[in-house]
Amino acid sequence: MALDMHRRDFLKTGLFGCALLATGSSLALLSGCSSNDGPAEGYLHLRQKDVDLLLPLTGVVLAQALKKSAASADTALKAYDKVLDGAMPGTRATLFQLFDLMQLGAARWFITGTWAHFNEQDSKTLTHTLQGWFTLDRTLSRMAWKGLVQPLMFAWFAQPQAGLTTGYPGPPQRVIS
Amino acid sequence: MQDLSTLKVQSKDPWKDPKANGWEVIDGRQELSDRTLEADVVIIGSGAGGGVSAEILSQKGFKVILVEAARLKSSDEFNLNEAEAYHDLYQEGGMRATKDGTMSIMQGRAVGGTTVVNWTSSFRTPPQTLDFWRDEFGVQGMDENTMAPWFAQIEQRLKVMKWVAHNRNNQIMLEACQSLGWQSDAIPRNVSGCWNLGYCGMGCPTNAKQSMLVTTIPAALDAGATLLHSAQADTLIIEGEKITGVRIKTLDDNKIATGATLTLKAPTVIVSGGSIQSPALLLRSNVPDPHERVGKRTFTHPTSFAFGIFDKEIAPYYGAPQSIYCDEFSHRDGIAGQAGYKMEMMALHPGMVGAFVAGFGQQAWDEILQLPNMGGSIAMIRDGFHEQSQGGAVELRDNGEPVLDYPINDYVLEGTRRAHLSMVEMFFASGAKKVRPSHSQADYYNNWQEAQLKLAALDYVPVATGIGCAHVMGGLAMGADDSRCVVNSDGSYKYLDGLYVMDGSVFPTSVGANPQLSIYGVSARNASLLADRLKG
Ligand SMILES: Cc1cc2nc3c(=O)[nH]c(=O)nc-3n(C[C@H](O)[C@H](O)[C@H](O)COP(=O)(O)OP(=O)(O)OC[C@H]3O[C@@H](n4cnc5c(N)ncnc54)[C@H](O)[C@@H]3O)c2cc1C
Ligand code: SF4
Repeated sequence: MALDMHRRDFLKTGLFGCALLATGSSLALLSGCSSNDGPAEGYLHLRQKDVDLLLPLTGVVLAQALKKSAASADTALKAYDKVLDGAMPGTRATLFQLFDLMQLGAARWFITGTWAHFNEQDSKTLTHTLQGWFTLDRTLSRMAWKGLVQPLMFAWFAQPQAGLTTGYPGPPQRVIS
Repeated sequence: MQDLSTLKVQSKDPWKDPKANGWEVIDGRQELSDRTLEADVVIIGSGAGGGVSAEILSQKGFKVILVEAARLKSSDEFNLNEAEAYHDLYQEGGMRATKDGTMSIMQGRAVGGTTVVNWTSSFRTPPQTLDFWRDEFGVQGMDENTMAPWFAQIEQRLKVMKWVAHNRNNQIMLEACQSLGWQSDAIPRNVSGCWNLGYCGMGCPTNAKQSMLVTTIPAALDAGATLLHSAQADTLIIEGEKITGVRIKTLDDNKIATGATLTLKAPTVIVSGGSIQSPALLLRSNVPDPHERVGKRTFTHPTSFAFGIFDKEIAPYYGAPQSIYCDEFSHRDGIAGQAGYKMEMMALHPGMVGAFVAGFGQQAWDEILQLPNMGGSIAMIRDGFHEQSQGGAVELRDNGEPVLDYPINDYVLEGTRRAHLSMVEMFFASGAKKVRPSHSQADYYNNWQEAQLKLAALDYVPVATGIGCAHVMGGLAMGADDSRCVVNSDGSYKYLDGLYVMDGSVFPTSVGANPQLSIYGVSARNASLLADRLKG
């Protein structure tokens, strides 16, 4: 499938994308990446391999915000993990299928436009990857973006301390009688 | 600079000591073994429809058990922490979306349902919508005149009044509509003693918002109803052609079943779980449904957004979130023509802005830093009137969870293009320096001329067009047309005795205005009819 596929082909891409999602996760299973080894240390749901995959991205997505708060990408990814905690198990499972898929080079290329694993890319390359991914019109690419980048941004800034870095003075104080 | 962070907010939480109020409250988290309870009426879901029905039926002397999946949380726990509020008070912690991920869906999950997190706009059902329901679906006894007393009753009960103290974000719309000659007016809100803080979406800390949590549910408990919270209705119990009760799974703090099953026995069961949840309960229960209509015709108000940056402070996080609306484009092409949309403003807090900004990294950070000078608007498309607009379908996952399959079609996309134009024009008319529509290919535009050119070049395709919704309606349509409707106009389910539906899922189309008052009014009418019938 050519990278420069016309935008109006989105429907076809969508169907292809779904097929990839279905076969991809069995591929991921075969390659051993889908072993369900439980949440990573300190996380509620994200597995170690998700953390390895997403931590480098988190650092780039929230670079300036994290710097401003002197916080680590790990803190932000844990906030995202907490957001996922609210979702229904079935919704989380779909997202995890997508993350499993993104462990595979070919799928990573299809979804984000890049073969290399995120932890093998420096922050400049990752910025490039994210820029490409953001403009990809494939359903699966947008699903991954909406399931990852958007809630990650929400998760970070919804925390009281992080919220204050935006110029928002903060909520009134609660006095409980 | 507006700064409410040193303001001290104090209020009395009516839920501080339910026992002292004489209220019977059962906490599902404490229920570790199976047992059976009996009532005249079991109501599933404590939101707009469930709350109103519970008050009416218990005050008429019926023994009511009101069941709510969420844990009881009230004003003392509403701490204005955005992350916590979404996690605890919204369906799926705010992560819900349509099946293909293209539309985010916000719905509440609380004792008091979505009314605990809604933004208080209170509109009567537009008469055009009521006429359409009568003419197209055979809805009976719900024209403008017959509904007027029901709406008036609720307006009085929930202290609905037009708001006057508009925040700067809402003044943007007011001024723009005046200068463009567009219709606009103040929004009636269901509040009493509102502090104009702006946190309606996180649970009102002052109890000024007249949500079900502080109005109808306490009144129902006063009249002898029982509240069972942290308890999810799993399936309906059906014997022959009759409903005889409900099987309930109690949930722990993590929304995981504790293992106990409560059996609630009652000759009358009202389903008020809200759209998506109510049809899902009927699907899980395998109710008779000869035309396979349960879950079909599920509508939203597909909502697009625009953001304007001003060279003055807007402080969109403070003040009543919505208090001005514009109906200029609601019915331009008639009731069933091209998509019409109602425009209002939206509150913006940091997490929400984080989710809405375009992109990531430096670009997103630069945009987020503009928050104090940012205005936000929404346009909500009327869904379910045009022939292309047949709504989505609720499906069950293997584990019984519901998902809404709602593909975004050309009707919605075409309407969104015009809605973007209107919102962008509105922002420039009120002096915005830069404006951006919710579209992943769009950047900020510097003036209206540039905006028109660039908007015309955008591809309106589902994945790139930023659409969300906070109003879900339908899925158990009412009306006389059996080929499309499963509920009669009085809320009774067509194919089972004793089963009623009283919530937003009975609407055969979207409302075309923020739906809470429509749900209150129709539920008040149908709960009163039911009380009369049960009295014989
Ligand atoms: C952020 C936001 C802002 C809004 N602002 C406005 C506004 O300003 N004006 C307006 O008119 N509308 C607004 N709305 C929408 C409006 O509040 C809802 O449409 C309305 O409350 C829906 O009423 P309902 O009775 O259908 O269901 P809900 O109020 O959603 O209540 C359903 C309840 O049932 C519970 N439930 C579901 N299934 C089960 C089960 N199986 N067992 C036990 N419990 C169950 C749910 O947990 C939920 O608490 C807003 C919505 C949101 C999300
Ligand atoms: S603006 Fe909303 S949250 Fe604030 S006091 Fe008024 S009703 Fe309550």
